[in-house]
Amino acid sequence: MRLVRVSLSACLVVGGLLMIQVAPGDDIADRAKKLHFSSIVLDTHDDTTQRFFSKSFDIGKRNPDGHIDIPRMREGGMNAIFFSIWIDGRTMGPPAVEKALDQIDAVHENVNKYSKDLVLCRTAEEVRHAHAQGKIAALIGVEGGHMIGNDIRVLRMFGDLGVRYMTLTHFYNDEWADSSTATPEHNGLTDFGKNIVREMNRQGIMVDISHVSDKTFYDALEVSKAPLMASHSSCRALCNHVRDMSDDMIKALAAKGGVIQINYEKSFIDQAYKDAQDKLSGGVVAMMDQLKKECGDNEECLNKKMTEMTDKATAEGKLPHVSWERIIDHIDHAVKLVGADHVGLGSDFDGANMPEGMEDCTHLPRITEALMRKGYSEDDIRKILGGNLLRVMEQTERVSREMQSAQ
Amino acid sequence: MSAARCNPRNERMKPGIMSKARLQAGMCLLTGMVLAGTMVAVTKADRVTERAKQLHFSSIVVDTHDDTTQRFLDREFDLGARNALGSIDIPRMKAGGLGAIFFSIWIPSKITGPEAVKRGRAQIDAVREQVQKHSADLVLVSTADGIREAHNQGKIAALMGIEGGHLIASDLGVLRVYAALGARYMTLTHSGNAEWADSSTAKPVHHGLTQFGKDVVREMNRLGMIVDISHVSDKTFADVLEISKAPVFASHSDCRAICDAPRNMSDDMIGALAARGGVIQINYHVGFLSQEFRNAEKAHPEWDKAIAMEVQNRCRDREGCQLIEGDRITREYVLRGDLPRVEWTKIIEHIDHAVKVAGIDHVGLGSDFDGANMPFGMEDATKLPQITNALLERGYSEGDVRKILGENTLRLMAEVERISRELNAGN
Repeated sequence: MRLVRVSLSACLVVGGLLMIQVAPGDDIADRAKKLHFSSIVLDTHDDTTQRFFSKSFDIGKRNPDGHIDIPRMREGGMNAIFFSIWIDGRTMGPPAVEKALDQIDAVHENVNKYSKDLVLCRTAEEVRHAHAQGKIAALIGVEGGHMIGNDIRVLRMFGDLGVRYMTLTHFYNDEWADSSTATPEHNGLTDFGKNIVREMNRQGIMVDISHVSDKTFYDALEVSKAPLMASHSSCRALCNHVRDMSDDMIKALAAKGGVIQINYEKSFIDQAYKDAQDKLSGGVVAMMDQLKKECGDNEECLNKKMTEMTDKATAEGKLPHVSWERIIDHIDHAVKLVGADHVGLGSDFDGANMPEGMEDCTHLPRITEALMRKGYSEDDIRKILGGNLLRVMEQTERVSREMQSAQ
Repeated sequence: MSAARCNPRNERMKPGIMSKARLQAGMCLLTGMVLAGTMVAVTKADRVTERAKQLHFSSIVVDTHDDTTQRFLDREFDLGARNALGSIDIPRMKAGGLGAIFFSIWIPSKITGPEAVKRGRAQIDAVREQVQKHSADLVLVSTADGIREAHNQGKIAALMGIEGGHLIASDLGVLRVYAALGARYMTLTHSGNAEWADSSTAKPVHHGLTQFGKDVVREMNRLGMIVDISHVSDKTFADVLEISKAPVFASHSDCRAICDAPRNMSDDMIGALAARGGVIQINYHVGFLSQEFRNAEKAHPEWDKAIAMEVQNRCRDREGCQLIEGDRITREYVLRGDLPRVEWTKIIEHIDHAVKVAGIDHVGLGSDFDGANMPFGMEDATKLPQITNALLERGYSEGDVRKILGENTLRLMAEVERISRELNAGN
């Protein structure tokens, strides 16, 4: 029932927007639709991988819950997706490696199972080729350096298996890097952590600085020969959360050619919501810990419970409503700060609380239309939808080739 | 001066698998003899005609079994330099016209579970790093077309084979990861039984393949990995033939009709393999080539124990060291001349026998370089053109020689790939 109610309210919101903004024959709506469905729409962070382990989930069918499946990706024009490999940051060593490999295998197997719709891609060129063939490009990101088990060979193996970015930490510090949501113990990156960044450069694996502490970010920025990306972070200027980036950080990232991929999580995009949630549950890590008592490491369960909990709190008036338009505010803030070449999309679908009006990936065309109504050029919108990230991938690939040929 | 060496990798140090180890010891004795340097003039058989050279160096020469991987773990070994020891490095592969090489991922059968997987992965990483380091000469490929493209570009195609089902730790996910990392075949067992398949050199416990073992074969078919039946028991072989939807191969085995070792294949087995489109890749190991050698070596099990102990003393578990020291120690035995000398032409006898039994489309090369003891005149990859020369001398057509040098293996690979696509399309 909860889901029915949510989608009903979503429909009302959509309906309202349609009446106000999308009058029949509206030229902008038509142009936006055409632009959206001809663009490469690339999302750098989706936790759908966790659902592959659930018997009730089938990515090939339309699911009543969650945010991502092939029919809904088609409907929302989302044609490039980074499946996130994630385990709790407190699981380390060999078990972390094994679990990560199980998830990589699950992504491979699902791509193989739905090879008519999905194709595993490793390069920007392959993503473009997939798009030209009408397929959805599937890519892989490892969300947390703890999963390499402190072994650089495991990092290389991940790269060989198709992993195209690694987030240096998750919620907890790993053996060689500090997280933004834990007490610092390494003062950023250790020497080994710096070697990890260099090896990622050599392997052509993008360095993802979402989740890391500010010091880790600046260390990575200094060490990395390739531009960095924040796979799923928003702007602190609009919502002062440690998981987001300050204007100074965004500027430094952009100055080195990087890109911030805006996260849709309510508590990262809306200050009022974040404040209320902090009061209610003590912040995102504390909330996740609470839920883990019920769900263990089952992230599908965690997401379901988290959504249930926050929806209930919102219905009871303990948490404010957050509109999808906050996503546009964050994109616009970042663009105003560093230009249209350094902003992209990193939804956190299937791993976070979505704002109203962005209940799943079918709603993505709204972003294109909203940017167009703000006066963004078609070129700029294409960059934000995916072009910028593809540029960072290409630069990362180039740096990798250079480093390898210099050996 | 290429040198032969004794390779201790077939578990010579492991008590209880001494029959296998003894083979190795004997082998070492032989190679030592060669080294002892009885300076032998180049015989007629060692000369390679211009026609043979032309044919050899324009063909795709594929070798499906090389244990050079073990040497990658030794910091002192440089694949890019011409090495005094061992059989394989880039300069010698080029000199011998070796166009495609399967680097073997191997650990002893007694290592199982997560440790086996960890070490398997470390070796795959080592191969991939070597290929990357020497990318001007080597390119990692995973298909028959990939080998052809490498050949056209003048590069050596590097591939990987997993030698022993124990390396997957009874987990199909691990098998898939190996495949995704580029492993193109898996030998179902090594010298000991796997958890789900019997070996030819251990006491049978599964009566061939278990149900899970059959699932492994089916998954290999789906993944496009060649099922390798070298090392497995006759019953495991029969089970595989029944289950596999794709043709299978023996990556490094010889003919029992000439040398009656359990590691070799009977004429019936070779016939059955060929009838299903498979290929027997001839092994150059003297203990599998020569009955005379095998008999002499069996008569002196005590030599093996002594050598094993000395290797253990000098090397502990350092594979690179074991390769070198095992050889060095056995040279002393060889000087005594206790074992018969096996000529490289024995390889030709096995090829010719297999061709007579199975037909020209079902025989290839699986040297076991760097993992076995080579016969006199086949100390390393530079000697490979002699095989082409000898086959031409025997009256094989140029087309037939090309098949044996690599085309049969390439056909098998392409067929395995086709069946994989079919099975995946049936999802």
